[in-house]
Amino acid sequence: MIKKLTFRQFLFLVPLLIIIAVFSIWPILTSFTYSFFDYQLNNIQKSQLSFSGTFSKKQFEENSEYVKLFLSDDANAAAGNAKAEQAFQEALADAENYCETFSGFPSGKISASQSKEFTNSTEALRLKVKQLYLNFPNEKYANQESLPMIFEELNKAISPSNFTGLSGYRMIFGDQRLFDALGHTVYFTLISVAIEFLLGLGLALIMNKAVRGIGLIRAGALIPWAIPTAVSALMWSYLYDGSNGIIAHIFAELGLISSSETMLLTGPGAMWAAILTDVWKTTPYMALLLLAGLQVIDKGLYESSAIDGANRIQTFFKITLPLLKPSILVAVLFRTLDAFRVYDLIAVLTGGGPGGATETLSVYAYKTMFSQMNFGYGSVIVMFMFVCVLIIATLFIKVLGANVMTSD
Amino acid sequence: MVTAVFLVVILFPFFWILITSFKPSNEIFGSGAFQLLSQAPTLNNYSSIFNGKNILSSIKNSLMISLITTLYVIVVSTLAAYAISRFHFRFKNFLLGLILVISMFPQMIIVGPIFNLFTLLHWTNSYFIVLPYSTITIPMAVWIMVAHFGHIPLSIEESAKIDGADPFLILWKIVFPLAAPGVFTTAIVTFIAAWNEYLLTATLNTEIPMQTVPVAISFLRTQFSILWGEVSAATVVVTIPTIIIVLLFQKRIVSGLVSGAVKE
Repeated sequence: MIKKLTFRQFLFLVPLLIIIAVFSIWPILTSFTYSFFDYQLNNIQKSQLSFSGTFSKKQFEENSEYVKLFLSDDANAAAGNAKAEQAFQEALADAENYCETFSGFPSGKISASQSKEFTNSTEALRLKVKQLYLNFPNEKYANQESLPMIFEELNKAISPSNFTGLSGYRMIFGDQRLFDALGHTVYFTLISVAIEFLLGLGLALIMNKAVRGIGLIRAGALIPWAIPTAVSALMWSYLYDGSNGIIAHIFAELGLISSSETMLLTGPGAMWAAILTDVWKTTPYMALLLLAGLQVIDKGLYESSAIDGANRIQTFFKITLPLLKPSILVAVLFRTLDAFRVYDLIAVLTGGGPGGATETLSVYAYKTMFSQMNFGYGSVIVMFMFVCVLIIATLFIKVLGANVMTSD
Repeated sequence: MVTAVFLVVILFPFFWILITSFKPSNEIFGSGAFQLLSQAPTLNNYSSIFNGKNILSSIKNSLMISLITTLYVIVVSTLAAYAISRFHFRFKNFLLGLILVISMFPQMIIVGPIFNLFTLLHWTNSYFIVLPYSTITIPMAVWIMVAHFGHIPLSIEESAKIDGADPFLILWKIVFPLAAPGVFTTAIVTFIAAWNEYLLTATLNTEIPMQTVPVAISFLRTQFSILWGEVSAATVVVTIPTIIIVLLFQKRIVSGLVSGAVKE
């Protein structure tokens, strides 16, 4: 008899719920939010999510101090010319006024009218200072060149809203690099999963018949699976190396590739290098999953089919394959999803190269986020991947009928 | 025969790495690169990775991080799986579906927000990294544990309940010992998953003293040259513990991997 869950027993679930909420659900929702903003960590005006504009007091104070400092410096330089000196003192007074007005602004969100006021005053002061230097040319000024740059920095104290809505998603359609990455990912996934499935099924059938050596095969099969992908990718990049790699050398000797350099230095070579490494690492794993499925098939079925005179091929297609279908679907589904989000292997083996020929969606998303520090568009790519994953899973579960919910 | 071919294909890369690790660099590069046995075997590659390449500290980090992850994941998933397999509640199927979705989504989706969170809390380059590891380990662990609890007959617990024991005591004294093989399987699979993690560590623990093995080894490849001798030696060093674990616990690992994947 299964009982109803009471409050005390609900406590058993609490740690799981908290961990899932904080480290899985919250990040997904946050990534989703990022995708609606032009969010770039290395750009001071876009490094925060904001619907209305924001004001950076720090940015303002640092640069407005320089305006005053530079002006008073050059006022000293203009000391000989009474008119010029007076004009500089006036500008300096304006600058003091300007600083006083806006040092009252709080850091953070500001209203549209405040934003406008700030932009206009900054522009007015900038023009005044520019005019000043034009009216009284003097070689001794030290800061004529730097002041315009300071004003540029001052303008950055105001960040306009970086909410962009769906325009990040619209960018997808014009992004050839994204479609190339999608193409590479699909190519990698289809070919490596297909090879892994066929080899894995063959291996599982052999292991199912094998009487001796099963422990040895099982251990041998588990080792590539248990090695960190990053380590095995690095190991293989040595074996594929153009001048010193033994596998590239063997392939070239066998005539599979034109010369040993093609393996990592050409696009197709590098893609196949990644596929072969993946096949090496996960075929045994696939075989073990399929073997477990084979072992639960009733042996009596084979005996009765033998009595009925079915040959091996008939037995395989009429009994083994249909009964193995649930295991096959689940194994292929999880392998497909794994291959689709491949990151470590590509990042370490080829880094997406040569010339982007092996760049998958994960690698592109990671580069966008952590090389260009563009979290906004990076999140759009990640969301795009998420949708692809959902489509793949739905296809397997609804269309092909994979049964992934085993318990209950 | 097929067995032999299979083992040769699987093990050849390791074998080649092993012999490379004993070669001096003039035999790794150039004409001697394809020789089976070294003319002048050397231990230099090993001594250089143990002196100053931080392989030892990365092994320590990997061990600590994987152990902590395994411990808390076991506790959390055992408690949850017990409640899931023994009691009825309305959002049970939703919860199981959610766990399934988490195991399916691209890991890349959590990296950005987690990076910002860790930067904000100053948790980068620390062992706090074990917390987001939950995303890759918890779904699998809950899944295996639910499958194992499903095999333990309810009658034993019911007689304990008649004797008046409370649910936590029943879990601790009666169910947990019976589920021990399942717990052990979950622990190994979780440990290996944590040991192999690359994406989060490469992003969050970038400082050399806090790197884990996969990241530290991938850093041996410098911008200008790849020290294949040292890479090989480091690979051998970090692979040996994995091979030992696999040889000792292969049956448990396989049963963990296939539970959930095979309907019985």
